[in-house]
Amino acid sequence: MKVQITNGMFMAIIINAVYAKAIGLTQGTMAREIGNDIWISTIIATLLSVLLIWSIVVIIKRFPSGDIMDQSKVLLGGWFSKFISLLLFFFFLCSYGVIMITYVYHLMDYFLPEAPAYIFIIIAFIVGCYGAYFGIEVIGRMALIGVFSVLALNILLMLGSLSKFDVYELLPTFQDGITSTIWASRHHVADWAMVAMTVAVILPYVRNPQEWTRSSTAGFLFGGTFIVMWPILEVGVLSSEVTGQYIVSCMQMARSAKIGQFIHRYEMIMIAFFAISILTQIMMCFLCASTVASKIFGLKDYRRMILPVALILSGFGFWIVYDHHRAMELLETAWVYVSLSIAIFITLLLLILGSFMKKKLETKNKENVEHGTGSNNNKKTSSSSGSGNSSNSGNAQTE
Amino acid sequence: MRKKVKFILILSVLVTLLSGCLGKTEINDLGIVMAVGLDKGEEEGSIKVTAQIVRPADARGSTGAPSGQTGEPIWSITASGDSIFEAMRHLGRHSSRRIYWAHNFAVVINEDLAKEGISDIIDFFTRNHQLRMQTLVAVTPDPASEVVSTMTGIEVIPGQAINDLFLFNSLTAAAPQSEIIDLQKTYLNESSQPVLARLSLNTHGISNKEPTSEPTIKQIELAGAGVFKNDKLVGTVKPEDTIGLLFFLENAKSAAVVTPCPDNPEQSMSVELKTANFQVTPTYNNNQVGFDTKLKAVVQLVEAGCPFSISDEKQVKQIEKQIEENLKGKIEKIVELAQKEYKSDFLELGETFKNRYPGEWKKIVANWEDEFTQATLNSKVEVKLTSAALLYLPTKPRNEEEVHR
Repeated sequence: MKVQITNGMFMAIIINAVYAKAIGLTQGTMAREIGNDIWISTIIATLLSVLLIWSIVVIIKRFPSGDIMDQSKVLLGGWFSKFISLLLFFFFLCSYGVIMITYVYHLMDYFLPEAPAYIFIIIAFIVGCYGAYFGIEVIGRMALIGVFSVLALNILLMLGSLSKFDVYELLPTFQDGITSTIWASRHHVADWAMVAMTVAVILPYVRNPQEWTRSSTAGFLFGGTFIVMWPILEVGVLSSEVTGQYIVSCMQMARSAKIGQFIHRYEMIMIAFFAISILTQIMMCFLCASTVASKIFGLKDYRRMILPVALILSGFGFWIVYDHHRAMELLETAWVYVSLSIAIFITLLLLILGSFMKKKLETKNKENVEHGTGSNNNKKTSSSSGSGNSSNSGNAQTE
Repeated sequence: MRKKVKFILILSVLVTLLSGCLGKTEINDLGIVMAVGLDKGEEEGSIKVTAQIVRPADARGSTGAPSGQTGEPIWSITASGDSIFEAMRHLGRHSSRRIYWAHNFAVVINEDLAKEGISDIIDFFTRNHQLRMQTLVAVTPDPASEVVSTMTGIEVIPGQAINDLFLFNSLTAAAPQSEIIDLQKTYLNESSQPVLARLSLNTHGISNKEPTSEPTIKQIELAGAGVFKNDKLVGTVKPEDTIGLLFFLENAKSAAVVTPCPDNPEQSMSVELKTANFQVTPTYNNNQVGFDTKLKAVVQLVEAGCPFSISDEKQVKQIEKQIEENLKGKIEKIVELAQKEYKSDFLELGETFKNRYPGEWKKIVANWEDEFTQATLNSKVEVKLTSAALLYLPTKPRNEEEVHR
């Protein structure tokens, strides 16, 4: 029995899976590289990433009853699938490190500087395991709340910052040239790659395959719109020099927000909204990493992998956040290479292989549909299913 | 098995919910700082930090009477150290409460210290998670320790009184509203230089218990601006010249301008700026940097030491011309101070030039200081006197002829 989520939930997951890191850490990194033009770079990255997500949708649509690892198995056999799964596991491991940097440095550096880092890791572990255990539907619902939180956070920040906004700070544009601005967008494309790989795992659980392209594009564009407000405000209020000074530049924005004379210092409210979004991202990362790990070991139920995977991810996350320098090394260099190379490599490889072996995929998909083993064959939708019994393990037809 | 699950569940909930309590400090264990003063320490290279800490029992609002019985809503302490952080930690030696900086209203820096450089101050106050970006920063010719320890203003807490001085600084146009964020922005900028508000202690207060003909109580007042070059204070702007600075940096709306009466120069008239639209347009002709400034202001006459009626067009034109000259003089004076006297681009003209001529900027940025000091200025001021507030006729005794007319 498998669960499906609505297209709205799918869009919400996309938005939550990119928002937290992109608004602060990514902008700081890009500001150090290209100064004022971070908002242009963010827009370019979002548009480029739409191409990536379209490619993923094309790949999954060729074999809608299975995820990208199932498709790999059909294409070149079990070992190839395991190789892809291993690459994806490494991808999600690194992405969890990046998520932990975002999550821990927001909370620890600005709110609880005396709390040890492991406390934050443990909380992420508990919440992540909880979400991953109850599956994509629960996370999808959480993601919907996360989108409202994102909206509330954006509105609160905008209200508190507009009085200090100076549009001339955004000028001149393309100060370091168009090429540099496009090149700097790689940092944000790496964030979107995290979403693309998540989509490659969860897309078969989304209802209405004919809506996949539209909903994923809409998710990317809405997410991009929510995010791009931040670099515009960061440059217009803080200036690019100040934005580039900080690891978590969005927190400097939040700490400077003030509505009128009396409403200020409300960053605790904003961080609560932020936390809902990033906790959704943590759950999603656990779910994807567990699913991928279950494919490596050929398990039918991904839930058996949640604990070991969560332990590995948490251990790595702690190791990363323990040292700020190490964290920044991963964030600004290693992560970009890992993220982009794996995401682009897997996407291109399956896109090309799939185009040569379309018939094989179609035949296998038909078989799955006939046997009722694909995730899309389930008519039970998120609105009617109980989350407790939703064993949305990897697509059983390949086990 | 169920017991184990329950135990893990309870533990998980507790860990999640109680994590916010880590590092907690009860509010009655906190010494909440309202203002900080920074002076040179007695020993060479040391720094003296003075903290104005609120005494909650004696700093009640209107609903509760003071119960601390000390009569002082604040407690000021000072300590020295080789660095700001060390001096702040030394404050803890004689404070029974943990010093808490998150509610600090103002950072006041003594000018002698500022002349030696404030890069460490900028770094410290922008690096620390407790300190806010909207905290006001000012320089003072007086000992900063004295400034932050002085009971001033109508507020119970003097730190808040300093903060509130800046709420209406556009009315007085006597100092810019300089916050930590502004200081950090201009310090990090490749061409702009920091400019901070200047506070001074002057005897303006009169005791209500023992009234005297002359003021005897020292009060903090806005006293112009301190101009920096990189991180060093290089000069000051007088309060009467600050209006020119505010046109460039903030908004001088509602500022007052005094001008002699057209027919009787011994008497004066006061006008208030109702709107002020100020624009700076950079020019670059024959490799010469220039700036055209244009101020369009609408003013209202608020006081006339000589008879004045808004219906007297000749008099209105004359006053408009006088105000135009006055404001043009203020603008030219501040630019001259920046270019010739201090050689510091605290008016952010480089940024304006860069926005308009990004390509040319790259060529001259390395030599900006010279380019800036040699830049030409062409200022235009257009003033419209559109109102004389409530009065229409001149304030003067009517003779019989006028009454019958």
